[in-house]
Amino acid sequence: MPSQPPPPLPHFARTGHAAHCNRCLTGLPSSQIDVDAQTLAVGFYCLGTLDILGLLESKTNEVERKDWKEWIWEQVRTGSYGTGFKPGSYMTPESKSLSETDQFREFDPPHLIMTYVALLSLAILRDDFSKLDRQGITKFVRSCQREDGSFSSLPNSGDSDLREVYCAFAISSMLDDWSGVDVDRAIQYIRRCMSYEGGYGQEPSGEALGGTTYCALASLYLAPSSKHRDPGTSITPTERSRMIRWLVQNQTLEHGGFSGRTNKLADACYCFWCGASLHILGASPLVNSTTLTTFLSSCQFKFGGFAKAPNERPDPYHTYLSLAAISLFPPPSENKDDPNYEEWKNVSRIDPLLNATLETEKWIRRHVPAPSHYQTFESHEH
Amino acid sequence: MPRNSDDEDRKLYSERPEWADVTPVPQYQGLNPIAPIFYTPQYKDATEYFRGVISTGEKSERVLELTEAIIRMNPAHYTAWQYRYQTLIALKSPLDLELKLMDGIAIQFLKTYQVWHHRRLLLTALHDTPSSSSSQPAALAELAFISRVLMVDSKNYHTWSYRQWLLSYFDDVHLWTGEISFVERLLEEDVRNNSAWHHRFFVVFGRGQQQGEEDRPEVLKRELGYTKDQISLAPNNPSAWNYLRGILEQTKTPFSNLESFVQLYVSSEPPKQDILDLENPAPGESAELPCVAALEFLADIHEQAGADRVQKAIEIWKSLGDKYDTMRKKYWEYRIREALASS
Ligand SMILES: [Zn+2]
Repeated sequence: MPSQPPPPLPHFARTGHAAHCNRCLTGLPSSQIDVDAQTLAVGFYCLGTLDILGLLESKTNEVERKDWKEWIWEQVRTGSYGTGFKPGSYMTPESKSLSETDQFREFDPPHLIMTYVALLSLAILRDDFSKLDRQGITKFVRSCQREDGSFSSLPNSGDSDLREVYCAFAISSMLDDWSGVDVDRAIQYIRRCMSYEGGYGQEPSGEALGGTTYCALASLYLAPSSKHRDPGTSITPTERSRMIRWLVQNQTLEHGGFSGRTNKLADACYCFWCGASLHILGASPLVNSTTLTTFLSSCQFKFGGFAKAPNERPDPYHTYLSLAAISLFPPPSENKDDPNYEEWKNVSRIDPLLNATLETEKWIRRHVPAPSHYQTFESHEH
Repeated sequence: MPRNSDDEDRKLYSERPEWADVTPVPQYQGLNPIAPIFYTPQYKDATEYFRGVISTGEKSERVLELTEAIIRMNPAHYTAWQYRYQTLIALKSPLDLELKLMDGIAIQFLKTYQVWHHRRLLLTALHDTPSSSSSQPAALAELAFISRVLMVDSKNYHTWSYRQWLLSYFDDVHLWTGEISFVERLLEEDVRNNSAWHHRFFVVFGRGQQQGEEDRPEVLKRELGYTKDQISLAPNNPSAWNYLRGILEQTKTPFSNLESFVQLYVSSEPPKQDILDLENPAPGESAELPCVAALEFLADIHEQAGADRVQKAIEIWKSLGDKYDTMRKKYWEYRIREALASS
């Protein structure tokens, strides 16, 4: 059969996407009140968007970037549970002395997911991490792990499912210090989340879901190798085939994007969650990047930003994840004569395991782990 | 309808004499915060009084009213939920009344995780010995409530997780027995509801398995029969095919046992059946054939048989990539490569 020429690429609203995120960084309308307890995550999606577009330097100024770094560091809290970042100031009293009382230590505590996004955001802003209490963070991660191997988002309370497992693993990987995690127990938990369809549910016995399948897979590949375990080997070949089958099946015929579950509609964020999962499994060529590009371009909002589906309102979460998906799956080379091809290709490459641009990932690897005091000593030894 | 406490014309806490003894605590702003939200006056006021009661550690009836007001404005405010729960426990409040109040809130905000988490905490506190027979009516009532919510949104992930948690927590045979007919009701309405198929797997082969149904071959027969019937009604339904694969793999049943069934779905025309074969229901007149999932299934049977039958599998994969499922062409080519590499 002769292959059809790919459909023409629409305009890529580069500056519009940056403007959408810049607007959100400045402020959100009261209708967005449901993100009040997770503003740091919103900040990460906005900064991540600017980073992936390569527009952080040109679309923001030095004073703003300095203020944002300062604000993120202000979210650090230390208690008997260790040190971490809280989601923002939605619970924080104006008076500093009040915020340091036991009452607010308990009800304005650090949050595991927010600690992960804080480290990524600071790296995007090229912070030198000289203020990072590394041992405190490790202690915090440890105090979030529960009997069954999972992690709770707050010390002793809050959600606990594969999202928190992923954040604990990503934080440990960034710090290059796994002493806060009982890795084997966590992997046992991850395995209990695997569903008969091939993907992972949000918690044990849950329905296979794109987002948590990414969390499970990325965790298994971030996990340090040990005597009895290499990255990714916690998945058998049969499980791997079943997972690839299910992921590929989620690219929907109707719109060409990925859905998060069987028989659901395509959604821009699942283009990343499912696409990145295939990428991690070494199966990225199996994604149909032509229909993926068509779907994502239809999710572009005319004034910038991406929505979860065509004709919906854009938000920073879907904007960042759409761009991350485009980074992993740029339009195919059959499009190379298209006038818009270069614009779609001109997106920074990302590391799918940490979910950061390669430059930012490099920065993390260099600045987040504890500076080694033994390096010189060791090099003398050998 | 009772009036909600978030009515627009409600007085601010700062204007209410019964709150005059609480010092409101303003929120820290900072110089240039990331993504600050422009609060409504009502939200700003309520959260300042919330910080006020937190600073003194007050746990009282009015704290329940205040946290409810905040939750209705922002159901994702997990600290308000957390403090509300602690207050309920401290006051020894009747938790069954709280559960009733939460019924309306759950339906209004069913996409919010906290709504369901709070219910788990309440059920756990109300029934700390879940296996006792006195817990059974309450658990049944809760199942009925979840069913009502699933009528509003039949694929809500949190609601299904909560149902699975509830069944596992009480783990009572009387609870499990109704689940299959519940799933079937939902699938009658929408046979593509993957959450319902998943729940069926959970009930029959997952956590629910230990209850009754000791005769596993009989169970497998029943499940195969049901799934085949659903496929015959709507052949191009990945949920049903995934379920079929799931139960075969779970019970280590070879795919080839289904060969005569899938053969009915792989040609372009519906097969002419002289005698009605109840074991192998055929696709209906209007079915879109051939069915991609059936072709895939048949190719898997050929591949598993090995030897010269691998070639037959390769032909099917080629037809899928070139004709019947061109969107996944690269996947079918990959299947061919993998098969060739291992044969
Ligand atoms: Zn989405």
